[in-house]
Amino acid sequence: MPLLKLENVTKRFGGLIAVNRVNLEIKAGQFIGIVGPNGSGKTTLFNIVNGVFFPEEGKVIFEDQNITILPPYKRAPLGIARTFQIPRPFCGATVRENIAVGAMFGTHGRYVNVDESLEIADNTIKRVGLRKHRDKPAGILTPVEKKLMEIARALAMKPKLLLMDEAMAGMHPNDIDRMVDFIKKIATEEKIAIVAMVEHIMRALLGMAEKIIVLHHGAKLVDAPTKEALEDPKVVEVYLGKNTKK
Amino acid sequence: MKKKLIKFYPLIPVFTVYILLFFIGKNVPGMWQLVAMLLFYCALGQAFNIFLGMTGYVDFGYVAFMGVGTYGMALAITRLASIEELGIGIIVAGFALALLMSTLLSLAVGAVALRLRGAYFAIATIGVNEGLRFLIEGARIWNGSEGLIFVSDINNILGRDTADALMTFWADVMVLVIAALAAVVTLYYMRSKIGYALTALREDEDAAKVMGINVTKYKIIAFITSSCFAGLIGAASWALKTPYVFPPEVFEIQYTIEAIIIVLLGGAGTLLGPVAGGLIYGISKYYLAVYVPGFQLLIFAPIIIVIITLFPEGILGMLKNRFQNTGLAHFII
Repeated sequence: MPLLKLENVTKRFGGLIAVNRVNLEIKAGQFIGIVGPNGSGKTTLFNIVNGVFFPEEGKVIFEDQNITILPPYKRAPLGIARTFQIPRPFCGATVRENIAVGAMFGTHGRYVNVDESLEIADNTIKRVGLRKHRDKPAGILTPVEKKLMEIARALAMKPKLLLMDEAMAGMHPNDIDRMVDFIKKIATEEKIAIVAMVEHIMRALLGMAEKIIVLHHGAKLVDAPTKEALEDPKVVEVYLGKNTKK
Repeated sequence: MKKKLIKFYPLIPVFTVYILLFFIGKNVPGMWQLVAMLLFYCALGQAFNIFLGMTGYVDFGYVAFMGVGTYGMALAITRLASIEELGIGIIVAGFALALLMSTLLSLAVGAVALRLRGAYFAIATIGVNEGLRFLIEGARIWNGSEGLIFVSDINNILGRDTADALMTFWADVMVLVIAALAAVVTLYYMRSKIGYALTALREDEDAAKVMGINVTKYKIIAFITSSCFAGLIGAASWALKTPYVFPPEVFEIQYTIEAIIIVLLGGAGTLLGPVAGGLIYGISKYYLAVYVPGFQLLIFAPIIIVIITLFPEGILGMLKNRFQNTGLAHFII
């Protein structure tokens, strides 16, 4: 049984087809990279999976449950978490409170009270290395720290599927290495299925991915194991243009 | 055990202020009028803060809930006046009706308006109190624009002495109790999942949704709670202190504006803020009217602008930052 299954999902904005008949399967614990240039429909696809948008056509199935038109707040308790391209911390709240919110309303939300959630937050903070910022308002963190905090907040939700929207965009190479190590660690330790979305093909991230899905103009161009996907002439064409020399 | 108690520390300064106010009013001759006014503003701020402060939504129709609460008390007294054995129970019935009416109104308004965000919500709610006022006047509901006058009813039921004591003293004590209750509820919300959900949705509603928070539910909880307290304040401070209701007086938008100023002045979303805001607002308003009658708004407006500019997060926001990491931090939230 796949963890997440998209069947022929289509989303239009007026005349623009943002996501065009996409089929997709993700197994539990799998690490998948979604690659595609700007405007290829990656973020829209994420928004369909976590319920910000409902697709016009097709089905979204999570653990055999049809969640196509389930509101986002009901999907998080099922185990779907995400981070945003531009981090969206609850700026006025402290780092600890931000992460505790994740624990409170995630998959274990019903079973933990406020104190237990704060405890979970403390543990998660240690793991991402934000201990010295614990009681600071999240708004004053640096962009990298905000990204880490968002991941921590998502982890505190104890998700089964984590959608990471451009987790490394705009980061310094040193920070990217740190982030990659961290993501690798959580992927193996927590057995969370991770779907990481990146605009450009990044060796570092792709080294971890079992499978790469390349989106182009809203449609799935390639869906193959990482190595094959990277060598696919269609992918090269999307990024570099057609090879006219024959 | 100590950890459990620390959670209640923030109530200490709030209750200290209320107790001090009570004793000053009771023992210093001529002070009760000012104290009553301060209690009213503190209660108003404390009640409004549960919605404005915790959700970040501005409700411009807030006074409508006070108005409806006033009508609740007035209706209970005028309709039940013939049952003499009710005695003081009529006041209880009045509060119950005030509570019921403000709950129903907040459910109706909340279900529709809380689907809107930010400025759109604010605009939608402006219509509520004006609409309600014209509905009552135009459709001649509850005696229309002639209002309800029930001085004689109160005197008949409670006897003249009790009725006098009620109007001049006990009504204000009830406001004090309501303010204290609002403080307890605020702290309870802050320390529970409700408070965390409200903070999340105040800071970023879409992110909150994605994190599993049913934002509409929590907004409605805050809205109804806040509106119920408004209804109780109306019933105690308006209906019992001055036993008559006229639509233009109880649906006066000025009180909504005052509530907003008090909350922002003191610090939105804090527990002590509305108390600080209520005191500053009430004291300046009272003494400016005494010493510079006619010019009070001219002086008052710049004072508010200066405070808001100096402390954009309100007085409490400033105090919280200053006493961070000190022992006082447990008391100031």
